[in-house]
Amino acid sequence: MPPSDHPAGPGPASADPAGSTPVVGTPTALSVSAGPNTSGPLTADSPANGEPLLVATGVRKTYRAGRGLGGRSRVHAVDGVDLTVSAGETLGVVGESGCGKSTLARLLVGLERPDSGQVRYAGLDVGTARGVRRRELRRAVQMVFQDPVASLNPRMPILDVVAEPLDVHRLARGATARRDRVAELLEMVGLSPDMMRRFPHEFSGGQRQRIGIARALATEPRVVVCDEPVSALDVSVQAQVVNLLAELQQRLGIALVFIAHDLGVVRHVSHRVAVMYLGRLAELGPAATVYQDPAHPYTRALLGSVPVRHPRERGRERIVLAGDPPSPVDPPSGCRFHTRCPIAQDVCGRDAPALLVPESDTPTAAGQRLAACHFAGTP
Amino acid sequence: MTSGVESQRRSPDADLPAALRVRSLDVTFTGRRGTVPAVRGVDLDIAAGEVLVLLGESGSGKSVTARAVMGLLDPGGVRVSSEQIRVAGHDLTSADPEQVRKLRGQTMALVFQDALSALNPVLSIGDQLGEVFRLHRGLSRRAARTEAAELLRLVGIPAPDRRVRDYPHQFSGGMRQRILIAMAVALGPRLLIADEPTTALDVTVQAQILQLVDRLRRELGMGVLLITHDLGVAAEIADRVAVMYAGRIVETGTVAEVLDGPAHPYTAALLRSVPDLAQPGDRLRPIPGSPPNLLALPTGCAFHPRCDRVTEECTVTRPERRPLAVPGRTAACHHAEEAVDAPV
Ligand SMILES: Nc1ncnc2c1ncn2[C@@H]1O[C@H](COP(=O)(O)OP(=O)(O)O)[C@@H](O)[C@H]1O
Ligand SMILES: Nc1ncnc2c1ncn2[C@@H]1O[C@H](COP(=O)(O)OP(=O)(O)O)[C@@H](O)[C@H]1O
Ligand code: SF4
Ligand code: SF4
Ligand SMILES: [Mg+2]
Ligand SMILES: [Mg+2]
Repeated sequence: MPPSDHPAGPGPASADPAGSTPVVGTPTALSVSAGPNTSGPLTADSPANGEPLLVATGVRKTYRAGRGLGGRSRVHAVDGVDLTVSAGETLGVVGESGCGKSTLARLLVGLERPDSGQVRYAGLDVGTARGVRRRELRRAVQMVFQDPVASLNPRMPILDVVAEPLDVHRLARGATARRDRVAELLEMVGLSPDMMRRFPHEFSGGQRQRIGIARALATEPRVVVCDEPVSALDVSVQAQVVNLLAELQQRLGIALVFIAHDLGVVRHVSHRVAVMYLGRLAELGPAATVYQDPAHPYTRALLGSVPVRHPRERGRERIVLAGDPPSPVDPPSGCRFHTRCPIAQDVCGRDAPALLVPESDTPTAAGQRLAACHFAGTP
Repeated sequence: MTSGVESQRRSPDADLPAALRVRSLDVTFTGRRGTVPAVRGVDLDIAAGEVLVLLGESGSGKSVTARAVMGLLDPGGVRVSSEQIRVAGHDLTSADPEQVRKLRGQTMALVFQDALSALNPVLSIGDQLGEVFRLHRGLSRRAARTEAAELLRLVGIPAPDRRVRDYPHQFSGGMRQRILIAMAVALGPRLLIADEPTTALDVTVQAQILQLVDRLRRELGMGVLLITHDLGVAAEIADRVAVMYAGRIVETGTVAEVLDGPAHPYTAALLRSVPDLAQPGDRLRPIPGSPPNLLALPTGCAFHPRCDRVTEECTVTRPERRPLAVPGRTAACHHAEEAVDAPV
């Protein structure tokens, strides 16, 4: 296997970072100040090529916990996450349900503001931008949901579903231009333009997800954040949509954030992978490194619980985690994984480990991996 | 025809009656939109202590098959017919609804995907589990609660003596699924049907639940019909696999046989479409087209519009499921022999 293996065809090393693709809002056009964190620990997870488009620094988000838990308690949904996403790369995000993946997605696209920390797109604060800049951000950073069409007006034909972002951002002048652009977008996602007169319920799950992707691409975004985009689809159809996303990501050179709980799918599409546990990053690095040589005990346990491919592997050694993740309302002190970690020591309950290059790692051309564990890399 | 030799060889309880034997099960829904042939000609064989995984994509008829076996299909708007349904030697084909109701819980039990909606939110777990013993065994409330705690221990719930007093919402999703399994195995059924029991759970918890089911079928010697759309679940726990497509079983065999040499092109295509953690980097190979519409099934073989081996014959004549050279293996494909021999 090549050292930096990629979903299909050329990867970030050969991808066109920002240039020739037909994008409207280029990062430079938007920049008001230089990105704050292109040096320091974050450089370690940036691929060799491709500039960071989206930079999250220390983002935190809490919610009021439900009734009955005391008025003051809060859910620590995302608790200090640093990461970058670059043009031409796919960053996968995995972790058990409730670990904060969807919250992180909403923070990255500016649908929610962090309590503290920042998300910057081309130097611009995604959470606080107002007016023209907010519009530009909305256009440049798009999101795809699990079933994006389900929440729409069932009486809205697909033409209007896909054209809505064009209308909002006044990107198509006149009915003909609007229709032509929708036809182009539908073709891009492998649907026949004849379908634009039909209604959402006439489409299968896979087709609806294609429509959702066409809609997200309407504004020619530079960053697309997909939250569980194929989780509701049957495997055979899942593969169609996964291939489509990988292909579009490369053709358009966009930065793609791909969130899913299916570790196989994430491995398949991602150049880099972020492993989340209870609102924090446990491990972040090149997909090949994280999957083949996980440094964090949680990553190892997560990979160990993926079902075998063949019954002959049933006897393999694996760590099966006991129980479920603890509540994010009152998360464990120190390392949040210490209550389930098979190699936890006293220090783990006291001190939260920082996200660092494990001591046992040697730098590789494919990029460095980071892990948040006092004993990262210890088998 | 199907289980016979294979399962007897493996099963430690081969002298017990088969946990399940189904012949020619048909289920048809009749509604305003037309008649839906949801299940057609389904045969199933599960020996005592054996796990059969019924594998198929959504809408292929897995849940309807399970509900038909359990006698749980609402009588309105549905026609169910079969040559035979036997559970642990009991003939359900000729049983009246009251007899079937008695067998449910005692002899056969069902675990659903959605544990929260299957549990009563206002009854403590101890009372819900205990009810089973009070109703079927006539135990006192106190004795039933002790039994309930014992069951919770069996399915791996920590501090069971304390937790019997808790309510469903106080348990995590994985714990609730354990509780449902506890309830299902309370009376020592000979057949456990689990319909997508891990689909809503994280892989970490899925691994725990599959281990639990595997342990219980050994300890209690139950036959298990485990329904899933996930090939990994089959690889993890199945003895044998039956693959469903458009209401029919299209292939059966041991899990290793089916994974190593799928005899039906649909199974082969399904295997190819799943990302392989060990071999990333290839383009995924999806199955073209979409799953079939039961109201307008293709002529001949229902898979023919999506099949890479389709020939003229396939578009005209529906292939009957037939035994292959290996005992216990069957497939419903005109070109099954070529498919078995092809590299996966
Ligand atoms: N709007 C909200 N109000 C209260 N709690 C929330 C809200 N959104 C998410 N949470 C909580 O935050 C945590 C993280 O949730 P989420 O980001 O949805 O995780 P994931 O997508 O990884 O499953 C969970 O405990 C969830 O219940
Ligand atoms: N009560 C019902 N009325 C009409 N059609 C139904 C009913 N229940 C199931 N079906 C249809 O039967 C087919 C098989 O359903 P099901 O067994 O639930 O599939 P699976 O469990 O394999 O996903 C589907 O096409 C479904 O729409
Ligand atoms: S810091 Fe300690 S508890 Fe946390 S993952 Fe590492 S060894 Fe386990
Ligand atoms: S019968 Fe023909 S169409 Fe059907 S699966 Fe076999 S080869 Fe394909
Ligand atoms: Mg989510
Ligand atoms: Mg079902």
